[in-house]
Formats: sequence, C-alpha cells, structure tokens
Amino acid sequence: MDAITVEDLTKDYPTRKGPVQALSGVSLRVERGEIVGLLGANGAGKTTAIKILCGLLRQTSGRAEVFGVPSSRPEVARHVAALLEGSRNVYWRLSVEENLRFFAGLQGLPPYEARRRCAELVAHFGLGEKRRTTANLLSQGMKQKLALACALVKGTPVLLLDEPTLGLDVETSHELRGMIRELATGEGKTVLLSSHDMGVVEDTCRRVIILARGRVVADDLVPNLLALFQTRAYQVSLRDGLPQDARARLARRFLTFRVAEGERAVAVELPPEQDVYTLMDALREEGVAVDGVSRVEPNLEDVFLRIVRGE
Amino acid sequence: MRYLWTFRAVLVRLLIELKRYPLNTLSSLATLYLVFLILFTGARYAQGLGVNLFGEGLEGLVVGYLVWTFAIIAFSDLSWELMREAQQGTLEQLYMSPQGFRFVSVCWILASFLVSLIWVAALLGLMMLTTGRFLRLPLGTLGALLLLTVAPVYGIGFAMAGLALVYKRIQAFFQILQFVFVALVALPADAAWSKALPLSLGTRLLGRVMVDGDTLATLPVGDLLVLIGTAAFYLLLGVGVFRLFEEIAKDRGLLAHY
Repeated sequence: MDAITVEDLTKDYPTRKGPVQALSGVSLRVERGEIVGLLGANGAGKTTAIKILCGLLRQTSGRAEVFGVPSSRPEVARHVAALLEGSRNVYWRLSVEENLRFFAGLQGLPPYEARRRCAELVAHFGLGEKRRTTANLLSQGMKQKLALACALVKGTPVLLLDEPTLGLDVETSHELRGMIRELATGEGKTVLLSSHDMGVVEDTCRRVIILARGRVVADDLVPNLLALFQTRAYQVSLRDGLPQDARARLARRFLTFRVAEGERAVAVELPPEQDVYTLMDALREEGVAVDGVSRVEPNLEDVFLRIVRGE
Repeated sequence: MRYLWTFRAVLVRLLIELKRYPLNTLSSLATLYLVFLILFTGARYAQGLGVNLFGEGLEGLVVGYLVWTFAIIAFSDLSWELMREAQQGTLEQLYMSPQGFRFVSVCWILASFLVSLIWVAALLGLMMLTTGRFLRLPLGTLGALLLLTVAPVYGIGFAMAGLALVYKRIQAFFQILQFVFVALVALPADAAWSKALPLSLGTRLLGRVMVDGDTLATLPVGDLLVLIGTAAFYLLLGVGVFRLFEEIAKDRGLLAHY
C-alpha cells in the first residue's frame, strides 16, 4: 500500500468574488520510505495539498489518504505528523522537554514512552543543553529543530514538512537536511517536503512533484528531470577576452551566444545541428584563445523554472 | 488508555503554565478578590441605608460572585485559549491529535475545571473570611451542581470559540458576555423562562445548598431536571455551533490564520 494516495484532488476556496481554485485534479502517490519534494511557486497549491493530507483543510472533491485512512478522519493522525509554517508549531512558554512530552501525550503515548522518545530526540538533535530552556529563548535554528522533533516524537510513519528550513542560516539548513535524509534512510519514514529552497529539495529528495496553478505539471525522479532538461550548453573560458567584431560574428552564427563573467567567458547552448567542435572551430577562426571548456549541467532550479514556464 | 494520556498531557501543560507564571496567577486571584471587596463594601453601605442590594443578603453575594467567577474562568479558559492557540500557530497541531480536536477541548475543559476548583476554593475562603459568613460546603453536591451550572457557559464558550475561528477578532463580544453573565447570575429564577437561561437556576440551587443547607435529595426534583436539561441543551448547542464554524474554517483554510 502507498503511504500517501491523492486522487483527483480539487480545492476551491470560497471568496466574496467567487471560488478560487487552489488545486485542480491533483493526483499523486508516495511510496513507503520515499522522500518526495513538492515544488511550486507561491500559490501553486503546495500548502493546500499538505493541509488537506493532515486533515486541516476540507477538499472540495477527490481523495486524499494516508495508509488508506481518509485525511478527513482524526485517526489519520496516527499515521501522519506535520511541521507547518516553520517553527510556529511549538509552545513558546514550554521548555524543549515539556513541548516534546506534551506532543507525545497529545498523540496518546504513555508517559514512560514519551520520556524515552523525548530523551532520544533531545540527544539526536543536539538539544541537550537547552532541554530546560523555554522555546521563546531558543535561536531560530533550535526552534526549527524543536518543531521537527515535536513532529517526530509522535512516531508516525509519514511526515509532512512545509518549508522546514525557512529562515535558517546555511549551516543549520545543511544540518537539518542531513537529519531529513536520515529519516528515510535510518528510520524508514516517508517524507513529503515542500520548500522554496531548491537546494534542500535537490539535496534530500529522490523524487519531485512540481505544482503549477493547482495542477501537477511534473512528477519524476530528480535525475530523470535533470536529464530531461539536459542541454548542450557550454561555457568557454577565454584567455584574452573577446574582440567586439568577433563577438558580433559569433552571435550571428550561434543564436544563444552570450558573453559571461565580464568578457572572460562565453556561454552557448548548441542546437542539434551544431556540436562543440563547431564552436571551437569558430572561436579558433576568430583568433580567440581558449582556456577551457565546460558543459553546463542544469540544476533543479533551472528544471523547475523551465517546467513552470512551460518551456 | 491513549485518551487518558492525552488528558494527562493537557492537564500537565496547564499546570506548568500556571506554575511558570505565578505572578499572573496570583494577580488574577487578587483582582477577583478586589472586585469582590468593592461589591461587598457597597452592599454593606447599602444595608446600612436599609437597602438590600442582593436579595438573599451577603450570602447571596458570595454565592453569586462565586458562580460568576467560575463562569468567567470557564468561558475565558475555553474561548480565549482557543484564540491564543490560533495566534501562536499551535491550534493546527491540536487538530492533528488522533483523539480528535473535540476530545482535546473536552480535556482542556476538565483540566481547567479542576484547576478552577482550587482557585475558586481560595477565593471562597477569602470571601467567607471577609464577610464573616461561613457557608456550608458539601463537596460532592457542590461539585455536581457547579458543573451543571457552568456547563451552559462551556456551551457558550464553544460557540464563541467557533465564531473566533472564522471571524477572529471578537474580543469585544467576549467582554460584553462577562456583563451578560452578571445579569444571568443575578436574575431571580422564579419563572420558567428564567430557569431555562444559563446560570440563573444553578446559582439559586447552589445558594440553597450553601446557605440553607439543602442537599441534592432535598432540592426540588423538577429544578434539578431543568438544570440538567439546560446544561445539556446549551452544551450541545454550543458544540453544534462550534462544529458548524469549524467546518467553515476547514473549508476556508482559516484554522491557522489569525
């Protein structure tokens, strides 16, 4: 059985000016133990989809289930926990330990089990020194770790993470990425992660689902998506720069030709009928000294932008 | 058992917050006592002029004030707490309890009722010392009557909490309700219509137990049935209204927004 099943999910938000469609016939599946990234611009429907899966929003039509339990039923919380809106999910007047024990109790866990899980998570997240500190006195990174630990203390097999690295510095973001990866590899958790930070998604997710205007526009493994948008783009470093007249002639010959890095390099995306040798010959004919050539690999951000723009 | 652990978690959280902010806890108690002192001084002065401001004398004032205090605590604990949860972003997490949000709310009500008993007992002790009128305190009878008397207030609290989920800033309405509670507590429960209102009949019955020494066995059965009926009616109505607004909030995605 899939961990998450969404079929033909539609959500219309009622407004005074008429319904606004946030999701339109979204279907997706997440297998047990997968980390899947949910990408989309603001308003694409990511948070709406996640909140429907948590049972916090009512869908207009369609099916949303976690391990076969409809998300509208409270019992779905036995299978799924969520980190929503960064670190706003913890009680700021409770200490780290008190927050963890409260959320364990809310899940219905007995006190001894809550204490055991709390001790494990405090150690795992490096919160030991701060375990008696109230959440309002923690740094942003610590708060975020606590919020994630509060979601984990419930012991659910599925985690929904909405912008888990929001507002974190680079170092803490990297630390948290490692922890998220470990959730799937070490603990067999299923994670659906929504983020604007492509680095986080590329670093943690095996597969990505891209939403645009409430629809799934791509759903594939990250390497497949990168391969799909693999272009024959090259960057050529120049030893002595590029004379103006040569630039004009090269631009006429290669339509995507552009000068980069302050005249010290050129970037070209070659059409099917041309290859890198054609480019090198052309540069040699113009008397341009070449220092090095490298192929430009697309990253997830390029792929995302091209898909969303419908390129 | 998981229901019991959830209740325990809610109770422990409430106690931690009370303990962590003792000044807030004590100042709330002091404020309630000060208001009582003002009322008591006014009542004594009026008595000196031959005017009985509180129909049943000073004992009536103590019982009425006690019920009002309990009602205010019950109401604010539920509706203000829900608004606070929505503001700080934790309401959604409460909704994600496998036991369901309504069960979590009931836990909150029971926990706050238990804690309120301690408060109200302290306030009652202070009031009895101040007035020199020592009331009868059969704990079992009082506990049952108090719960039935404030049950409609919990119903109103649920309805207001539901409104707050959708319309957010309704604090002014909350404050008006505090004065409505004064009127309901002071309302003589003679007519059938006034018995059917929240707080009114319960206050009279509590007065009979605490002042006249009545017990559950000697109170009029009809009145007790009406009290149970009104408690159930307002509580169910309040929960029904809450569910209605909860559905609207879930449909519009308003649970997290404040």
